[in-house]
Amino acid sequence: MLDIVQDVSLKVKYQEALVIKGASGSGKTTLLGLMAGLDQISSGDIELLGNSLGDKNEEQRSAIRSGKVGFVFQSFQLVQGATALQNVMLPLELRGDSDAYDRARHSLQQVGLELKKNTLIDHLSGGEQQRVSIARAFAVQPKILFADEPTGNLDAKTGRQIADLMFRLRDQSGTTLVLVTHETELAERGDRQILIDSGCLIPLDPTQNTRLGQS
Amino acid sequence: MLKIKSSGIQSYWLMLVATVITVSIVSSSQLLTQRISLLLDRQASELLAADLVVVSGEPISSEYQQQAEKIGLDVANIISFRTAIFIDDSPQLVAIKAVDDAYPLRGHLEISKDYVGDKLKVGQGPKVGEIWVDPKLSQLMLGPVTLGSAQFKSDWILTFEPDRGGGSVFNLSPRILMNIDDLTSTGLIVPGSRAKYRLLFSGEPEKINEFIEWIKPNLKAAESLQDLENARPEMRQALDRTRQFFALSIVLTLVIAMVAIAITARHTANQEAPKVAMLRAFGISQTRLMRFYAEQLVKVWVIATVFGLVIGWFSQYPLQWLLDTWFGKELPAISTVMPYTNAAIVGFISLIGFSLPFLFNATATPPMQVFRPSHSNRSIRRNIVIIVTAIFSVFLVLIVLVQSSKLAIATLVMILAVALVLPAIFYLMINSLLFTGRRQFWLRQYLLSRLKTKTRGALAVMSGFCLALLAILLIGVVKDELLNSWQKQLPDEIPNYFLINLRTDQVPAIEHFLQQRDIASSESYPLIRARLTHINEESVQDIEFMDPRGANLLKRTFNISYSDQLPDDNEVISGQWVANDSATPEWSIESGVAKNLGLKLGDILAFDIAGESIKAPITSIRTVLWENFKPNFYLMSNRQLLENQPQTWLLGALIKEEKKAELKQLIINFPSVTLLDITELMSRIRGIVSRATSALEFFFLFAMASAFIVLMAAIQTGRREREQESSLLRALSANIGQLYKVHIFEFTLMGILIGFFAALFASIAGWVISAQFFDIEYHFSSSTWLYGILSSTLVLTTVGTLVSRKVYHVSPMKTLRS
Repeated sequence: MLDIVQDVSLKVKYQEALVIKGASGSGKTTLLGLMAGLDQISSGDIELLGNSLGDKNEEQRSAIRSGKVGFVFQSFQLVQGATALQNVMLPLELRGDSDAYDRARHSLQQVGLELKKNTLIDHLSGGEQQRVSIARAFAVQPKILFADEPTGNLDAKTGRQIADLMFRLRDQSGTTLVLVTHETELAERGDRQILIDSGCLIPLDPTQNTRLGQS
Repeated sequence: MLKIKSSGIQSYWLMLVATVITVSIVSSSQLLTQRISLLLDRQASELLAADLVVVSGEPISSEYQQQAEKIGLDVANIISFRTAIFIDDSPQLVAIKAVDDAYPLRGHLEISKDYVGDKLKVGQGPKVGEIWVDPKLSQLMLGPVTLGSAQFKSDWILTFEPDRGGGSVFNLSPRILMNIDDLTSTGLIVPGSRAKYRLLFSGEPEKINEFIEWIKPNLKAAESLQDLENARPEMRQALDRTRQFFALSIVLTLVIAMVAIAITARHTANQEAPKVAMLRAFGISQTRLMRFYAEQLVKVWVIATVFGLVIGWFSQYPLQWLLDTWFGKELPAISTVMPYTNAAIVGFISLIGFSLPFLFNATATPPMQVFRPSHSNRSIRRNIVIIVTAIFSVFLVLIVLVQSSKLAIATLVMILAVALVLPAIFYLMINSLLFTGRRQFWLRQYLLSRLKTKTRGALAVMSGFCLALLAILLIGVVKDELLNSWQKQLPDEIPNYFLINLRTDQVPAIEHFLQQRDIASSESYPLIRARLTHINEESVQDIEFMDPRGANLLKRTFNISYSDQLPDDNEVISGQWVANDSATPEWSIESGVAKNLGLKLGDILAFDIAGESIKAPITSIRTVLWENFKPNFYLMSNRQLLENQPQTWLLGALIKEEKKAELKQLIINFPSVTLLDITELMSRIRGIVSRATSALEFFFLFAMASAFIVLMAAIQTGRREREQESSLLRALSANIGQLYKVHIFEFTLMGILIGFFAALFASIAGWVISAQFFDIEYHFSSSTWLYGILSSTLVLTTVGTLVSRKVYHVSPMKTLRS
């Protein structure tokens, strides 16, 4: 077993945009997954939206996430063979929303893809696919959104557009955002940055991009 | 310089397993087919008392015997002729058969002290100075019998001789069996005597074939060769059909194995694509990559061949044990390496033919995929290459395995046609289902869109599994049709005795005798001996027949009959059956004879019947079921044409064991009547048919086992994608019930579609095969549909869900890491 972080404590505030930075292999994605309840922690505890995740199995963690947590992945993770609209409808229908269709359409409208709602995912560009992914994440009106390198697979210009979109929607909805990235420009848009290094979480000064001390 | 390093056999393990299975299936099925065929041939040979017979009207050259013994065959001699003997001062025509000590080479003789007494099976004819007599001649047993100038002791009744009545069972005089060494002392055979000489041969099939090759060019005009094909029409069709079925089963089992290779090769190629993209980005040429993959495939083939042959060789033992019990007789051993070399060759062709195109396709993965994975690396041209190579491989395999079997080739053509249209059919089906209900995605639309996507290759896997199921259903369909036709052919309650040489005036009395004793009898038929003299006014001596069987037919005396009714199991295929009250002369001819003599409706045939020429046109052509053990005739006429000709009558009777005592009274009441007991012959043919049935059942199980591998390969190849999908659904907060639902519905939907189309195509192909190759009436059966859809749905859903259950516990973290 590998210890990703040891003896650390981290609190993400309501409606805050927290950015986690770190070198490759430092454990950024693992930390994000643990915080989101995607994996089981080996010791200690994580509290997500008032629920302790430490002693929960996957089924229980899934119930905690349901309808309250959204994700944006580096590799989009969309259902191939389905349309943009269907991809956005998926998490809504999984939790049993009866107005999934209308809400998904609205969400796609918000990311500017209303006209491409019936286009198959395979026929969309990388930037468009990530916009569908963001629409899917915000469609469930999550309390907290976890984004893992959301611009990692995109060119700089598209990356900037995606970042703009994500922060705009987050501002509109007041969703808490936990973002993993190693891109300075994107990281600087967060309210707070922390660096993960050798299992330690180190706060950074968002303006100076310098270490503030261990938290 | 960069060196491509093999990632080890792990990348190819599924393909390796599929190839091992192919090699082991081919080696064991070839081995067992040959051994089962040999067992069936041996059993059938018992009806000929040998594997091969040379028949001649003149003494046969001793050179044949010497050559046969040199090759390693066993040889026996028979001389048969007719002569008259006196019983109570009245002459009786008898058929004498003189045999040497080696007779019979196959099968056995049966003798008894009393006509209804216990029968004794013996492997040798009478000793010198002894004769065995027909039941009808049992009064000879009261004292010494004089044959020519010698006297013999007669203690035994001959109740069964395996090769009696080859060709026609009705043309018999009472038999006397004697030792060939006594023949000279009787003085009955002198140069120029009318006698039939038979030289019997038995041995390994290869040696028999070698001898046939040698003897064919040496045969004299008066000599002919007899084997099962031309000597026992009752058996010919059963054996032909069994062999045809074996060829069909091997081809279909192979189709299943090849589907497994194709599915796994596709999976391997997909897995290799990212590696190829990287290597190509580093500057490795496509040619080098192709060479690399060709080498990898050869390694897979070598390993698979070794394992496959070992498994094939060892599988003989448990299978042999099973089959010995199943067949009730030990399977004969064969000493040939052919099954193993064939298996190795088929393994190579299948592996290369199905895998190389996929891997070569993978080598064309654009280096751009290093940066952006896509799945559009397969052009239409490359897909065509894959299909053409696969078809070519299948035909190569066919050449190796079944060579000239038209049935196997036709089956394969049908399967290939289905293989080409299946993906399109599934695509259209899924698309049409996708078209409706767009406002709701989960669960139906989600499932369908997943099945449609190229990356999962679900359409290819579905098509593969459908082909495997189609192959199984087809084996099942044809097997059932064959069994049904055999069952109909030899029902339990058919006459087991023929009463022949009945005078016209005796017929009502004999029918009454049987009726009184509650013995069921068949319709009685007159027998008129006739010789064909003219066809369309031209003497048959002047006609040159293209078909040698036509010329042979002219040498024989026909037993012609007449009847108002078309006999059972006869079918008029051309013209009209003779009119009941027709005064116009008419012939109805059997289709085989018509073909051999080149006859058609309207041709005028003239026969010599007791010195009188009888002429009539052919007004109908019939098919006859020779195997039904009922009176069957090549030629029949209307009553008026022949009823005044000299004739005897025959009828069949079902004389059960408890009624056999009545036979004595029958012989006393009607001494001129000859009784022909075909119980033993029928039980032998039933035995062969029942063993052939077991063979069919066995091959069905074999195919089932192969299809299970396809199922596992199909489920296994989609596992990675399913893991990925489950992980994403988990991340999107799906609960475990929803994950189960996805897989259960996915496998159920696939199962229904696969089962439906497999049953549809199996029914169509079964109909074509039954009608065209087995000449049996096909019945569309709802059970094919029921078994097809139910088995495919249940097996796929159960096994698929069980095998996939691990993916429900995949951490959603996998989504983040992918």
